[in-house]
Amino acid sequence: MKHTLYWLQCGGCGGDTWSLFNARSPDLAECIDLLDIELLWHPSISVMGLTELRDLNSALITGKKPLNILCIEGSVIRGPAGTGMFDEADGRPKKDLVAALAHQADYILAVGTCASYGGIGADREIEATGLHFHKWKQGGFLGESFSSKKGLPVINLPGCPCHCDVVIGTLSMLLSGAEIELNAFGMPLEWYGMMVHQGCTRNEYHEYRVEEKQFGEKGCMFFYLGCHGPLVNGPCNKILWNGRSSKTRVGVPCFGCTRPDFPQQYPFFETRNIEGIPIDLPDGVSRAHYLAYKGMAAAAAPKRLKKRKTGI
Amino acid sequence: MSAKTVCVVPFNRVEGDLKVRLDIEEGRVTDARCSGIMYRGFENILKGRGPLDGLVITPRICGICSTSHLSAAAKALDSIFGAEVPDNGLRIRNITGMAEMIQNDTRHSFLLFMADFTHPHFRKHPLYEEAQRRYTPMKGSDAVQTVRESRRILEIIALLGGQWPHSSFMVPGGVVTVPSPNDISQCRFMVRHYRRWYERQVLGCAIERWREIQSRKDLDDWLEERPEHQKSAVGFFLRFSEAAKLEEQGRGDGRFISFGGFDMPRETGVKSFGNKDQFLGAGFLADGITASLDQEKIVEDLSHCWFENSGPITQHPFSGETRPYATGSESDRYSWAKAPRYDGHPAECGPLAQLAVAGDPLMGDLAETIGSTLFTRVLARLARTAILLPALEGWLQELADGEGESFHNYDPVNEGEGFGLVEAPRGALGHWVKIRDKKIQTYQIITPTAWNASPRDQKEVRGPIEASLVNTTIENPDDPFEAGLVIRSFDPCLVCTVHAIET
Ligand code: SF4
Repeated sequence: MKHTLYWLQCGGCGGDTWSLFNARSPDLAECIDLLDIELLWHPSISVMGLTELRDLNSALITGKKPLNILCIEGSVIRGPAGTGMFDEADGRPKKDLVAALAHQADYILAVGTCASYGGIGADREIEATGLHFHKWKQGGFLGESFSSKKGLPVINLPGCPCHCDVVIGTLSMLLSGAEIELNAFGMPLEWYGMMVHQGCTRNEYHEYRVEEKQFGEKGCMFFYLGCHGPLVNGPCNKILWNGRSSKTRVGVPCFGCTRPDFPQQYPFFETRNIEGIPIDLPDGVSRAHYLAYKGMAAAAAPKRLKKRKTGI
Repeated sequence: MSAKTVCVVPFNRVEGDLKVRLDIEEGRVTDARCSGIMYRGFENILKGRGPLDGLVITPRICGICSTSHLSAAAKALDSIFGAEVPDNGLRIRNITGMAEMIQNDTRHSFLLFMADFTHPHFRKHPLYEEAQRRYTPMKGSDAVQTVRESRRILEIIALLGGQWPHSSFMVPGGVVTVPSPNDISQCRFMVRHYRRWYERQVLGCAIERWREIQSRKDLDDWLEERPEHQKSAVGFFLRFSEAAKLEEQGRGDGRFISFGGFDMPRETGVKSFGNKDQFLGAGFLADGITASLDQEKIVEDLSHCWFENSGPITQHPFSGETRPYATGSESDRYSWAKAPRYDGHPAECGPLAQLAVAGDPLMGDLAETIGSTLFTRVLARLARTAILLPALEGWLQELADGEGESFHNYDPVNEGEGFGLVEAPRGALGHWVKIRDKKIQTYQIITPTAWNASPRDQKEVRGPIEASLVNTTIENPDDPFEAGLVIRSFDPCLVCTVHAIET
């Protein structure tokens, strides 16, 4: 039997969908075919009209038709004043449809940071939240004790947008019955068990504390330009974007878009620091050790790096 | 008299959700109301944030045109900081913006729009089976090719900007990127590959041959000229439209606005369409006359949307506020979208508007002889790549040939105001930004869809989509499929679903 999949867009920009269209091998069409997926509904792909969609929704909600995988993109919008009417579907708040479908699904994927943790719009007038988390705190829209029909929590695939390979990889693991190990924030370790910093071509500069204050240079962006690479989890610099590159490789600081509190409440493109040393140090590193290490590193920096001779 | 049926068209699209209420009498639409039914509050999210934060936050408004938002945000900051963008910075901004536009045009045409031709509504159409072979979602030959080719052109944006969607590589003063010669040569491979596919599959001829077409008559002759022309996607669209009589459907009132597109480098061999500053000139086209654009003439009218305001009912974006009220139930006010007006008028934007305003011979001719209809809107979208690709190739070549910076440092100021107007894939996009005490004081955005899906204004004048729906023939009021087709010709991105309430 084919695996049924339903994709619902809530308070988001559609970027996770268009990112999914970036997939190369397999591409999206191949993936649906190879994983034996029956795509019940996707708002940017499906042709069916509302009468049919309503029949489909009621068959799923009453359990007459099995729902194997529910993918939600975008945050659950609860405003204004808890009504959810800032985002409606068929005359009713879309959040009601999310709840009804979530209780029938074998597995649920929160695709992107908004669906996972609330993202853009969390704590704002639209009262956005994630499916199973609100920022760092478990609970979110479905509540702390929620589990999907197969007994799993919502699987969070953060990223703004989420990388296509992460979505396809997770689907493939789920459908082949592989166990998916999650971290404390519901993210699969396979992709979020590493730092964005790993694999950045500026690592050589980072190592010797050759740091940039200005755009358009080759050095590291951690000290002054607000790069979050060593602070956040994500595979950007391993699997690369569009199969080609990454923000940090071309000189755009990592904004920490996979983090449960993205977007941060202090300015981008700047590093908060005390006497020139970043306040937020690489994940798990102690301040004293870091100061000593960076002092030595800067002293040891070779000329080729100081002169920006090494390519990135 | 037969009963009036009020239909609601809940309409899903990338930037949010759209619902259209139709009044149908005797099989014809007599009135339409377009409601934006999702509110995400970006303007308020930006208030009080760091001055450069628009570069990170605004691309996240839209997953299919994030690079255009980035470009509008960067241009607004260029003007606030008085930053001068060096030629290579302009080139990289233009190349990436064009790549995004080409991607959008292909995906919208072949994945979102043409999918409708496979709907049972057209089962009696002589080309129905061919439509299914080509455009059945994720299976049809043209649909699958589109999935593969459109992602390839986006690799250019990754090479020059890190990723697509949602990068922030444009900054005041240019772009952060310093592409290596090999990065550029990779981009050129991508473009060559894409051109080959576009010429073979979409046009059925070389871009140079296509651009010889300057009138309706030339277009008819071209179609008859060779079997390749008939078999191509454009040829198929022409044949399908003819038999389905799409040419007359969805007629707009023919007022067009375009913010133009792509700032010309100071020294370049790329020829613009008659304007030394912009590759495609900006303007407002009404009654056959194109006037130059004056952003002072833009206002947002709040009379029919769910926003409060303390001042007058129309506001220039610099003095605009965004304060939602109400819960989304309908009265005189029926949308989360404001009503943008130019010189007091609604205006249509998108590829047709952009090319007609810029004076492209073919689209100028069609806009004059046929007007703004479903047919001309879709054709302009299919053909825009033929205008963009050669310029994109030219600028890549110049990047490869010449050294030169792509970023100039600027002096950040703590206060100021500025705007960034660009043509996004779906039309005129503007950001109006005020900075005070090193923070964003106000940030107002008018998106292309806000122009097209605008509600009425205080004079009760309908927005472009609303107006284009009036008089549409509806076969089955319980499933007003034809209305969906008209709406999608404006490229609102996603599928349409239809729902009818008897009254
Ligand atoms: S730029 Fe960012 S990701 Fe790259 S090496 Fe520096 S800190 Fe790490």
